[in-house]
Amino acid sequence: MATIIDVPEEKVLHVNNFEFTYASSETPNIKKLSMPIAKNCVTALIGPSGCGKTTLLRSFNRMHDLYPGNTYEGEVLFEGRNILDAKEDLIQLRTKIGMIFQKPTAFPMSIFDNVAYGLRLQGIKNKSELGDRVEKALKDAAIWNEAKDRLKHDANGLSGGQQQRLCIARAIAVEPEVLLFDEPTSALDPISTQGIEMLVSELKERVSIIIVTHNMQQAARVSDYTGFMYLGELIELGETEELFVTPKEKLTEEYITGKFG
Amino acid sequence: MTYRNKRIIMNNIIMTLSTISAFIGLGFLFWILGVLVFNGIEALNLAIFINEGAPPGYEQSGLKHALVGQLLIVLYATAIGVPLGVMAGTYLSEYGQGSKLAETIRDISDIMMSAPSIVIGAFVYAIIVIPMGHFSGYAGAAALAIIMIPIILRTTDDMLQLVPSTLREAAFALGAPKYKVIIQVVYRGAKAGVLTGILLGIARVAGETAPLLFTSFNDNFMNTDMSEAMASLTVTMYNYATSPYEDWQRLGWAAAFILSMFILGLNIIGRLFLLRKRGK
Repeated sequence: MATIIDVPEEKVLHVNNFEFTYASSETPNIKKLSMPIAKNCVTALIGPSGCGKTTLLRSFNRMHDLYPGNTYEGEVLFEGRNILDAKEDLIQLRTKIGMIFQKPTAFPMSIFDNVAYGLRLQGIKNKSELGDRVEKALKDAAIWNEAKDRLKHDANGLSGGQQQRLCIARAIAVEPEVLLFDEPTSALDPISTQGIEMLVSELKERVSIIIVTHNMQQAARVSDYTGFMYLGELIELGETEELFVTPKEKLTEEYITGKFG
Repeated sequence: MTYRNKRIIMNNIIMTLSTISAFIGLGFLFWILGVLVFNGIEALNLAIFINEGAPPGYEQSGLKHALVGQLLIVLYATAIGVPLGVMAGTYLSEYGQGSKLAETIRDISDIMMSAPSIVIGAFVYAIIVIPMGHFSGYAGAAALAIIMIPIILRTTDDMLQLVPSTLREAAFALGAPKYKVIIQVVYRGAKAGVLTGILLGIARVAGETAPLLFTSFNDNFMNTDMSEAMASLTVTMYNYATSPYEDWQRLGWAAAFILSMFILGLNIIGRLFLLRKRGK
């Protein structure tokens, strides 16, 4: 049994009977999962290791397609179409649904070129437009002050926390509708973590955010909705406060009180 | 004797033996280098770079023909071998992940890397020199390219695989098509390593003699026409060093010295690239 609320907000993504199977697996790794993702909100996915939360997240931008043999079933509706469709234009999709990874993934190029990367992919060549949009993205990702004097420097010279904010700048520069965060702070120190969390809360004004986290406090701090996953199923989706204070499902309660996981 | 003493004595014996072995190995290396530098520098003068080959006894003889021939043959070999090697390595690392074909290519390439170079020379002799009817610089370049390809293929493959897959995923997640991910992100990340592989590949073939004996053969005079037989430092060195004439033998030492310095230089530059990358 599962308790999955409906969200009052407009839905940016709608997951319907979604199943996912890795190439190496015989049974589905995510089973008949349905959930709404509210627009301009932060939805957190929590659950013990191996519960499928990252697998689910990586389905939203079809990251699994990079490796052969993985299969999707069911529907993930976005802008009125099923993005799991074989005909889906993945390049287009990924510009609309961006992703931030667990470890910072600064490209081996300058800070400026990192942020301009996605913009250039979209065919923006005009120097002043590139400059403006890079500056805006770096400001929005709260790293402009640290980066403005060394835009031409190699991005790998930045600290881990700065690199992660650079990656966020790079992702928001192309103005996506949805941002997927895959444990974005697990490789960062507490102060950098706080910076990223503040950023997530600010960014939801403009993008819808889904964040996978191992850290329940983090989910409680940044998210509006929280989904608890266990063994490839969504056990409960609720408003974050309610889910943590008065969980409806016994499994959820046991997990958030630390009885397992 | 206590167990502890026995252990200490054993340790000292092994340490002494391995240290001596290391010094013997290094001793030969420095001996070779020493003789080479001593004889090479003595034989070296400006005239060597200006004059062509001449019959023994002539004052104005030099190695210009061999230097130019060597450079041309290696240049053409590089022009053929590097693109093929890099692209094949890219296929193995980026497109052939886990496929049977890629595994097979990898194995065959490893076998080719240890194939005796004289066999490759004989092969090129059969497929290029015989149909053409004569030796040529092209045939020499082809033989060297064939030796170069598996080396560059393997290092490119290894170096590209060292680029973390998260970096690729991050580029894909921004909506980059695969070829752009490879060219703009993966190549950039592996630049130093791939370049090192290329330099080491060039250094490896620059010292080959056997395959050139069958293919570009030799020419004692200046020739820049790749479709004709062509001199190279290695073959010239072989001919001059085995000749009974003292002035030719001196030129042979000079050729050996120049060639060794060239290869040493390539190796040092290659290693510097890697060091600089690791230092970051």
